[in-house]
Amino acid sequence: MSPPNEPKHDELRDRLMDQALGEVLGREAPPDLSDKILAAAQRESFTSRQRKERVMNGSKRRYWVWGLCAVAACLLVGIGFAMMNPDVRQLALGPPEADEPAEAEREFAKTAALPQMAARMGAENAEKTAESEASQKSPAVDPFYLHKSTQLANIRAPSAEPSAPPPPGQVFGRPLSEKPKSVGDSIRAEEYWGTTPEGEGPGKGGDQYGHLPENPFCTVKDHPLSTFSIDVDTASYANVRRFLLSEGRLPPPDAVRIEELVNYFDYGYEGPEDDVPFASHIEITGCPWKPQHRLVRVGLKGREIQGEQRPASNLVFLLDVSGSMRSPDKLPLLKAGMKLLAEQLDEDDRVAIVVYAQAEGLVLPSTPGSEHAEIIAALENLQAGGSTNGGAGIELAYKIAQENFIEGGVNRVLLCTDGDFNVGTTSQGDLVRTVEEKARSGVFLSVLGFGRGNLNDAMMETVSNKGNGNYSYIDGVTEARKVLVEQMGGTLVTIAKDVKIQIEFNPARVAAYRLIGYENRILAAEDFNDDKKDAGEIGAGHTVTALYEVVPVGEPVDAPSVDPLKYQAPVEPSGDPSIRDEMLTLKLRYKEPDADESRLLEFPVVDPGTDFGRASTDLQFAASVASFGMMLRNSQHSGDATYDAVLEIAASATGPDVHGYRAEFLEMVRRAKALASQ
Amino acid sequence: MHSKDMTAATADRQAELAAVVRAHQAGVWRYLRFLGCDPTEADDLVQETFLEVLRKGFEDRSPAQTAAYLRTVARNRLLMARRKASRAPRAVDLEAAEAVWAEVAGEDGLGDYLVALGDCLEVAVNPRMRRALELQYRDRAGRAEIAAELELEVEGVKTLLRRARSALRDCVERKLGR
Repeated sequence: MSPPNEPKHDELRDRLMDQALGEVLGREAPPDLSDKILAAAQRESFTSRQRKERVMNGSKRRYWVWGLCAVAACLLVGIGFAMMNPDVRQLALGPPEADEPAEAEREFAKTAALPQMAARMGAENAEKTAESEASQKSPAVDPFYLHKSTQLANIRAPSAEPSAPPPPGQVFGRPLSEKPKSVGDSIRAEEYWGTTPEGEGPGKGGDQYGHLPENPFCTVKDHPLSTFSIDVDTASYANVRRFLLSEGRLPPPDAVRIEELVNYFDYGYEGPEDDVPFASHIEITGCPWKPQHRLVRVGLKGREIQGEQRPASNLVFLLDVSGSMRSPDKLPLLKAGMKLLAEQLDEDDRVAIVVYAQAEGLVLPSTPGSEHAEIIAALENLQAGGSTNGGAGIELAYKIAQENFIEGGVNRVLLCTDGDFNVGTTSQGDLVRTVEEKARSGVFLSVLGFGRGNLNDAMMETVSNKGNGNYSYIDGVTEARKVLVEQMGGTLVTIAKDVKIQIEFNPARVAAYRLIGYENRILAAEDFNDDKKDAGEIGAGHTVTALYEVVPVGEPVDAPSVDPLKYQAPVEPSGDPSIRDEMLTLKLRYKEPDADESRLLEFPVVDPGTDFGRASTDLQFAASVASFGMMLRNSQHSGDATYDAVLEIAASATGPDVHGYRAEFLEMVRRAKALASQ
Repeated sequence: MHSKDMTAATADRQAELAAVVRAHQAGVWRYLRFLGCDPTEADDLVQETFLEVLRKGFEDRSPAQTAAYLRTVARNRLLMARRKASRAPRAVDLEAAEAVWAEVAGEDGLGDYLVALGDCLEVAVNPRMRRALELQYRDRAGRAEIAAELELEVEGVKTLLRRARSALRDCVERKLGR
């Protein structure tokens, strides 16, 4: 029988129309889950293959173990017997031979106890019966057997009596509450469960993340200047997305770099109108997770470069084809991504492909970018295998890039790897020095990270920073398209390098401040004017956003206090009325890509007192992303932030969202909320 | 078989499966939404459906057979998920829904239907109806808001939208010959 509330056939057709209208007009399109499904299928087949192998290996190993145990047991028994008390040896070996004295004693007792029976039944029968009785005689009535039993009791503890607990430190065997260890226990848990624990540092298994202690509040009285290097990387966002949407688990806090989450999105800032490579946009509003505080947004927008204006590019793809790259989310995805990029190149560009595994090799000499078929064929032929010698590969890639150097063009090595630089002379220090030196010669380095399992996130970020490049994490073809096609200009063409931001806060307006994210980009105040100090690059069309949480004067400050100075007079706020209303002054330093001397830009800023509800949609969205990042990092400064609040703010601030990135962010927040509640 | 041939065969098989996933995943998602799943649940069930199908050593005989098979697996996964969550299947009669989907949506997972709907939106509804649809589906406006903009009674909005959907349904099904 049909349920009473069953929609009729006609209603189902209406329902279908309703759904179709939602998709055509409301853009409720299905997500592309292909990459996720294929990666999960591959993982599953990989895991089941490993399980089979483990069972096979386990069986073989078990035979060996049993064999060895048997030999060892024989030896021990032999040695034990040789050292045993003679009585015990007799017990173990059975009754002694008839010619032994004990046997004579027993024969005597036997014949003495049965004289009448022997007389009645005749000598032959009596002897048979006596033998039989003797064999059934209880040991308790036989002094000889009693003696042996006593010896036995001394050797084996009587089972009826409770055994005393062994002295501390002398516990042997396995408590019954524990599961038995199997041969397969030596296999790492992540191999069995198909998940990977986070690594803890060099040489440890799993993904590796640098520790990021959260920026604290700084009082303006003690720290009037905040200085940091910009960061246009977005790898952390793609990595967090993969944790949440593909693997269904919360990311480890150190995998969450809030500035990379915020910078994943394009904020529609206006580009520069004059010859400055980027425009700056400052907005101040209420802080959504702490209403007493203010939120300052510094936004930069790099000059756009249209396709035909893109300078000629000399690219060297440095591809990791080691065994660790074999899974479908690594080398196959890498090939797909590089093909997408290759298809964008033309006859002015050049591409070479260097691979590294057991030995580095030049797979494709520097070739005009218009030779798409040749480039793609070279990519198609790549196979994963061997272990990694990243250092030697990098040397070769830089050599090829130098040999084909294009003056005034883009000269860049694109390193694609899971970060597993595990063989050869490679140390992080050596690598960093190499890429730093090569960047000074005009060949920059960008890093594309792939896969999970031994992702060396910390190292890839460091290497790309030092190489005047950027670091992106490619978790699917969609991300590859975003980084290598949609944002190709930003990925390849640097329009300003060593971009530093310094903010001087006005103590008349600000009691304390906290930079949200950029923990590993903080610079000393004096580094701002030091042109030898390296900082981040900004690519064509890139947007960079930095957020400060500011405590206005008069509000309580959650920052450790410093005792009053004994030998210095406290610094008083300036009494100049013309600057009294300013909240801060933003200073920017940058160098042109081929320059050694920096230029300075300076902007004083006044807080207009705007409520968060009246802030621009972009700032609202950026604030929701930042508070999401704080929640994922279990930040002590997340205030009133909740996943629901993040959803509410972000959902109302998605704007046009042409590519659906903001809608996807909402999905990530929902997933994180569900995971956090489990 | 040489290991190179085996590698090639494995690669071909993987490419074939990848093509099946790419061709049908959107259709299965839409089907699950049609059966009453919310988007998150549909995401999960689509993945479970394909994993189950790939696990069973599936053969792609024809797009129609593949689509039907995937729908069956997806429906079973939905029922299992609902049972596990101790929830009765929602008000949708799954058999009736499957019959309507097979008849109207076609083997391409609603693809042709959506294209036809795009055309019909241009020709089968008047501007007022079109505006009401946009307000409801694109701007997520409530009936009261639509009524205010179109200067109608709230009840009138309901009627207008019903007529618009009916006209579109006739147009689409006529175009598709279903």
